Amino acid sequence: MVKLMPSLVAVAFSTAVIGCSPAEQQDKKITINANPYPSTYHVLPNSTTLLKNAIVLTGTGKRIDEADVLIKDGKISAVGKQLVAEGAVVINAKGKWITPGIIDVHSHLGVYPSPNAESHNDGNEMTNPVTAEVWAEHSVWPQDPGFNRAREGGITTLQILPGSANLIGGRGVTLKNVPATTMQAMKFPNAPYGLKMACGENPKNLYGSRNELPMTRMGNMAGYRTAFIQATEYKRAWDKYDADYAAGKNPEVPERDLMKDTLKGVLEGDILIHNHCYKAEEMAMMIDLGKEFGYHAGTFHHAVEGYKIADLLAENGNCAAMWPDWWGFKLEAYDMVLENVAMVDAVKNSCAIVHSDSGVTIQRLNQETAKIMHRANENGFDLKEEHVIGWLTANAAKSLGISDKTGSLEQGKNADLVVWNTNPFSVYAQAEQVFIDGAKVYDRQDPAYQAQSDFMLGQQ
Amino acid sequence: MTLFNKSVIAFSLALSSAAQAESVAIIHATVHTVTDQGVLTDATVVIEDGTIVAINPQSPTADTIIDAKGAILTPGFIASMNDLGLVEIGAVSASRDTYEKEADIIFDPSLAYNPKASTVPFARKGGITRNIVSSGGGEGIFSGQTFTVDLSGNWDSLLAANTGLVVALGASKEGSRATGMQQLINKLEDAKKAQVKKTPKTAKAKDEPSREDSVVNAVLAGEKSLIVSVDRASDILHLIKLKQEFGLDLILVNAADAIIVADQLAKAKIPVVIDSMRNLPESFDSLHNSLENAGKLTKAGVKVAIALPGDSHSIYALRFSAGNAVANGMDYDDALAAVTANVADIFHLDSGQIAVGKPADLVLWSGDPFEFSSKVKKMWIAGEEQSTDSRQDKLRDRYLQKTAMPKAYSR
Repeated sequence: MVKLMPSLVAVAFSTAVIGCSPAEQQDKKITINANPYPSTYHVLPNSTTLLKNAIVLTGTGKRIDEADVLIKDGKISAVGKQLVAEGAVVINAKGKWITPGIIDVHSHLGVYPSPNAESHNDGNEMTNPVTAEVWAEHSVWPQDPGFNRAREGGITTLQILPGSANLIGGRGVTLKNVPATTMQAMKFPNAPYGLKMACGENPKNLYGSRNELPMTRMGNMAGYRTAFIQATEYKRAWDKYDADYAAGKNPEVPERDLMKDTLKGVLEGDILIHNHCYKAEEMAMMIDLGKEFGYHAGTFHHAVEGYKIADLLAENGNCAAMWPDWWGFKLEAYDMVLENVAMVDAVKNSCAIVHSDSGVTIQRLNQETAKIMHRANENGFDLKEEHVIGWLTANAAKSLGISDKTGSLEQGKNADLVVWNTNPFSVYAQAEQVFIDGAKVYDRQDPAYQAQSDFMLGQQ
Repeated sequence: MTLFNKSVIAFSLALSSAAQAESVAIIHATVHTVTDQGVLTDATVVIEDGTIVAINPQSPTADTIIDAKGAILTPGFIASMNDLGLVEIGAVSASRDTYEKEADIIFDPSLAYNPKASTVPFARKGGITRNIVSSGGGEGIFSGQTFTVDLSGNWDSLLAANTGLVVALGASKEGSRATGMQQLINKLEDAKKAQVKKTPKTAKAKDEPSREDSVVNAVLAGEKSLIVSVDRASDILHLIKLKQEFGLDLILVNAADAIIVADQLAKAKIPVVIDSMRNLPESFDSLHNSLENAGKLTKAGVKVAIALPGDSHSIYALRFSAGNAVANGMDYDDALAAVTANVADIFHLDSGQIAVGKPADLVLWSGDPFEFSSKVKKMWIAGEEQSTDSRQDKLRDRYLQKTAMPKAYSR
């Protein structure tokens, strides 16, 4: 044994030398640009603003009466009583309510815009059960008049998702609801990407009718699993390339695949899952699917049967985004209860969200929430405004991975907020002023802050 | 006021077993009559045999007395132009009796009506007591006829069939909208000409009008409404001319751009049935959609009914649409009329008001009927008290229970 020592040392030494040898020079390291269409968003003109004497719902479960909100440099500087700020624009908000800006985690504005025309049906790449390679942001028409209507309803942030025809439909994008000429100028800086997946009837019906997989729910599961097996292999190839390169070798670059790029991002935890999934048993399987491949199953959208598995969702850290009262259009939407959101919310560590999936109801998610709060309170719950506002703000921000930036009125957060003329959970409530990053983007009283789409300009 | 209460003890027992013959007095109510009487405070409404028999009588008698304690009493709300009772689940074709491809002038969807559909009790949660059902469908412009139901869910809840002929006009996926309008014009002109030809002298047995012609003749005679789903103002102007030329009982549905021809509609006394929540320029036919339209049309003198046309699964939310119309400029009483008296007037129902002689379709509310915070405390259809319990409530209750056994064992 002792005799062999010198030669072993020599082998190790020579390997190290080879690594640095000019004869074996490495090719340029290939890395995938994760953000080739970066945000060009700029905060609109803003000033230090002090909103006085409002009823403030912070989004963190607190209600503060006769409270002030101070906005400085686009951030929430303070929320409290009798604040003073020199040189601030002061807004008397006595009798008004202030909430964080509303976030819709499920929108198709821009990809299914108004007017609804063949030329604008850009939300559903219905050509293959797995189209993880498509990105909703590449379809967004920023002139959709629906963005303006949504802003008038207090929507400051929204996730645009592809449609639900496919098992894996493509990437969603999170936008700031500011009027802009390009998609990039709306893109929420540093928000993670989302990946749209869909359970149940849509994919199986569409592809089944074409005599393709999936024709059944078991076909759905086979489709997801096949895609993630491929993604796992792809990730391994890139990981090996990176490791070999780091070890000084000059490995062959794996062949780039857009579809698998996205799924690899999911496996690495950079891309969050947003799964259209109605039924209790299917959501449970999607949670297990995530465990099988080592990713988190994310947020379930439309979760009409969320109330049946509220414990399971909370235990596994899944958010559920729901409507109050949509039902009966499909069998998987048959078991609606008006208290669904409240029942999902009632469990410890839950994350209940009210979403729209609609250019119409996105304008009044506050009212959609009111429907739930009051029906639940009639049936044994004790929900308060300061709590349920979180279904539209803090929980939605958590689902989108942006809760460090928005979704609550806390010091240091982006000053995304809505001033309501009355209790926002009244049918008569209207958003009077809307701020994004401290900049006023809507004012019901002032036409200077009422954006209009190019499309509507000059129509008779 | 002296009030003779024959059975105070029966008060709570009377809930769902109120026999028609029994009389009920609702006392201390804030009564929105939706008549010229306006709102009556601390008022009494007496119902008997399914009818409102007295309002604020001198000496009322009643088998049952219900103390409203100041709560709001309104006429039952009336939904319209949806497919209630024709569809259990939209995407389950075997549970769907609407959008018949071969629907035509004589198509009578009332033959498919199911008063036991799960949508019916759910709609009652919104204080809806009657409904005008329409089917949709048809490859041409005609989609068959409307029918009227009450929402009791009883087997005899079909009140009237074949009440109006439904026509869809406007943007066409293929070809020109002109074809649709032309078809309607031709149909009316041809029927009119045929009537002129058939003088009693020349008429023969074999000239009996066809089923189709009978329907069109009834439309021409103003006995049957012509209900046209249309959005663009230019189409609406053609229809105004048709009404005047043929003396039609014309009702417009949807009518997104009615606002820009509101004066002409008011002058021609043409009512509109609109979804007051539409505010997106969904198509080039509907660029003037706005939350303010319901109020503005009313102010312009157009009779407005607020509806959620199309689907029926969530028509319980009709009252919130009325609330939103108020939030966007509609007078409160006008909005209430738009879901009660106006609907009745437009579709020729004897309902929608609290007045002596009217059917006792009544709703007692816990608060403002347009608010999310309020709910239906009690409701009556033709004097019969109704439950608002639905399948949804049973599901909720099952999953709110904590049990060791699977939920399937919980009732």
